[in-house]
Amino acid sequence: MTLFRHELKRNLKALLIWALSIGILCGGCLLLFDSLEESMAEMAEAYSNMGAFSAALGMDKISIGTIEGFYATEIGLMFAIGGAMFAAMTGAAIVAKEEEGHTSEFLNTLPFGRGYIVGWKYAALTALIVLFQVMCLVFICIGFAGAGEWPSAKEFLLFHAAQLLMQLEVGSICFLLSACTKKRQIGGALGFAMFLYLLDLMCRVLPDLENLKYITPYYFSNATDIFTSGEVNTGMAFLHFAVTIASVIAAAAVYRKRDLAA
Amino acid sequence: MNAIEIRQLTKNYGKHRGVQDVSLTVAEGDIFGFLGPNGAGKSTTIRSMLGMLHFEQGEITLLGMDSRTKQKEILKYTGYMPSEAAFYPGMRAKEVIRFAADARGMDCREEAERLCEILEVDGAKKIEELSLGNRKKISIVCAMQHQPQLLILDEPTSGLDPLMQEAFFKLLLEYNSRGTTIFLSSHVLSEVKRYCRNAAIIREGRIIRTDTVENLSKSNMRRVKLVENGKEQEFTYTGSMKELIGQLSGRDIEDLLIQEPTLDELFMHYYEKEEA
Repeated sequence: MTLFRHELKRNLKALLIWALSIGILCGGCLLLFDSLEESMAEMAEAYSNMGAFSAALGMDKISIGTIEGFYATEIGLMFAIGGAMFAAMTGAAIVAKEEEGHTSEFLNTLPFGRGYIVGWKYAALTALIVLFQVMCLVFICIGFAGAGEWPSAKEFLLFHAAQLLMQLEVGSICFLLSACTKKRQIGGALGFAMFLYLLDLMCRVLPDLENLKYITPYYFSNATDIFTSGEVNTGMAFLHFAVTIASVIAAAAVYRKRDLAA
Repeated sequence: MNAIEIRQLTKNYGKHRGVQDVSLTVAEGDIFGFLGPNGAGKSTTIRSMLGMLHFEQGEITLLGMDSRTKQKEILKYTGYMPSEAAFYPGMRAKEVIRFAADARGMDCREEAERLCEILEVDGAKKIEELSLGNRKKISIVCAMQHQPQLLILDEPTSGLDPLMQEAFFKLLLEYNSRGTTIFLSSHVLSEVKRYCRNAAIIREGRIIRTDTVENLSKSNMRRVKLVENGKEQEFTYTGSMKELIGQLSGRDIEDLLIQEPTLDELFMHYYEKEEA
């Protein structure tokens, strides 16, 4: 628990910056929905006939003119990308920062053991991702309350559960990267989060690349799919959960075996 | 029981040399000096002992426990002071000290306070506001506050002013008198000569000599100072006294002083001898 508390404290500032930025952005946009409702209806009509672009953003399935559609296509996307970037950045830094900051020798010569270090660091990463979700949800709920309309609770909760799983997967893969490297690969991690989103866009627009949907976690956690179907593809969710677990196990195995720099 | 037993330790970094076939033993309660210049393999040996590095060959036993299988247990009873005193920026000195105590699940407040007072540590200061010397002092507190059975110190005095060095060695002697074994890695020979009973000299990854500091200081090498024709000369001589006197007898020497070598000279002597 000592290391868990320590990690939460060390990451508190970054958590607040990211959660407030994404939360206020999402909640603020929802508050604006009321005043934009009329123009949204016109936009919805235009967007629904834009072929591949509509498909990529899911506007062929749901209308941006409704609060649910607006949330699924606009806010959900911002939240997904922002959350994945936060998870990627935190995951990529949480282990490698020790060697980069030359604190590895101090930490690893305390009687923790490498398994304990990697375990509690991952627990802290998970807690940070959950806290990010909770804080953003507070602002999103304020946004819905301000707009005076609420989406269906079931789809809303399913979407955020899928998002949590998606962020955990991105965070875990970057955690593995962090366990393998001596320097924080923040740029690479942010690029990775964006690349996964690009894969999602590609598999939605290009039928030949449809199989990419099994690779990118943005696909199974897509807001428009969940809000229109009312469910999360459980097969894909399990697949991505397995990738998450495999990444953590691999991170622990690598970290326990490798030489550590001062 | 020996506090430290290293047998045929070999550790390489890919194609680069680390340490080769290093063996040494440190008895419980000893103050053991580990001498060598920068890059000789002192830190590699220490990091292998502490589990930071995985070595290819050999065995390390600390406090009677295998370093590969009982690492966590060993670290409970060991205090380590790295050569680089790096901590988490943003944390205050007292938070770092507390964190190290919490990691051991121990209440070390009383001893930590005493050490902070002796070493004049300002616990309220943030890590980034501290000089290397002040960070070193925090490192000393973190290594000693749990009153370990074994203290491993990697070049501990670099960055400390002479007064603090004195206070630090006084603390070391106090801990040693209570039974703590001390393993002191250094390239400052005078501190090893002053405080250590036994020492090993490492060079280019290999131990070249292990003995008592007293024996290491004994050799047939002498420092010769003479004044000849008004000119002062100073050199080291290794060989028989008879030959030296024979060489000097025909010369116009006004003054002559033959002394034991300093440990620095001795250190160089062992190096040169090994090279030859």
